[in-house]
Amino acid sequence: MNDFSGRQPGGSMSDPSHDQIRDLIPAYALNTLEPVEARQVEQHLAGCAACREDLYAYLAVADALPLAVPEADPGGGLKDRILASARPASISAPGPRWQRTWQAAILLGILILGLSTAFLWIRLTQVEQRIPAPRQFFLTGTASAPRAQGVILVSSDSQSATLIVENLPDLGGEQQYQLWLIRDGQRVSGGVFSAGPDGYQSVRIAAPRPLWDYSAFGITIEPAGGSPGPTGERVLEHNL
Amino acid sequence: MDLSQADDTTLLQLIEQHRADALGTLYDRYGRLVFSVAFRITNDPLTAEDICQDIFLRVWQKADMFRGERGTALTWLARMARNRAIDVLRRESARPEKHSVSWAHVGRDPVSQDLDLEEQAHLALEKHRVRSALAALTEEQRQTLALAYFQGLSHRQIASALDQPLGTVKSRLRSAMQRLREVL
Repeated sequence: MNDFSGRQPGGSMSDPSHDQIRDLIPAYALNTLEPVEARQVEQHLAGCAACREDLYAYLAVADALPLAVPEADPGGGLKDRILASARPASISAPGPRWQRTWQAAILLGILILGLSTAFLWIRLTQVEQRIPAPRQFFLTGTASAPRAQGVILVSSDSQSATLIVENLPDLGGEQQYQLWLIRDGQRVSGGVFSAGPDGYQSVRIAAPRPLWDYSAFGITIEPAGGSPGPTGERVLEHNL
Repeated sequence: MDLSQADDTTLLQLIEQHRADALGTLYDRYGRLVFSVAFRITNDPLTAEDICQDIFLRVWQKADMFRGERGTALTWLARMARNRAIDVLRRESARPEKHSVSWAHVGRDPVSQDLDLEEQAHLALEKHRVRSALAALTEEQRQTLALAYFQGLSHRQIASALDQPLGTVKSRLRSAMQRLREVL
């Protein structure tokens, strides 16, 4: 258990062990350690390559977490304020900080009047309600391609859609993948494509009607050029 | 030049040359996510807008600080947003313990008309991957990780908030991060 390779010269016997430090690295990557613990980790990292590798891996995890934050809409005015502030000519104009301070003062007044709960509730509700309906369909790999995944993204006006797939096996030149749009048991081709060497591909979908009208999507392996109807193994699927 | 097709590095180079349209495109691409990170941490839309504005103005002034080898522009912006928002919480000693700090459900984001569809699809897939990985954790792991991520709480503070032994909290947070490291 004790690998003191990372201990700095002059470290005392009360210093935490390599394993104890290693257990703290996930929290260090999240920047949530107490200051004393953080200093111990930093001292250890300076002399321990294995723990530095661990840290890089956990920092990558921490960097991915924003993608799982529930999204909210800041509203239309924020971009305008940012762009206005970014122009040197507007420096002398009343800045957004002034506006925010004023709004904060109004908020404080409302709080003093005892309306804070209602006000915040309304604000939060508005932020939540500005989120429009989802326009994505995720496809999951079947037993034939368990690592494969995909997403169909439909533009807000429903006029265009893109399919992205990942981790699809390379089929060589004899076969291709074909997307099927399924409605009332009928299957219509949404496009024929090959995956790249890394299993990735982006495909613009050609659909005869809005994608909302379909109840399911599937991707099968077909002879090169595609088939009038699905004949091969299904590798990705989505059921509404 | 249609900036919606430009990659992030090109956008940042143009911002360095003080091209406001490039800053606008970067905002279109990531402003919503930066705001969301700040909003979910502070639980206050006005503070979150302030943080978001400060970050994009910092990018305007210091676009050359971006280091591509340390991650994408998205991770850079999101990291700044979280750090700033946590700083606000710590400075004000305000712990919005009552507000929800749960993670996003899988597949619930809208699609923007202003952005390239393929790029959005790629981002959507990344979100799906991360959200699915979180969904595969235990409820206790997700909750512990959420308190650390959204509120910046230490092990000890999480143990106090959840009324759980310190060792249990350390173990949950560590195992959650280990699991995510394996699958992401």
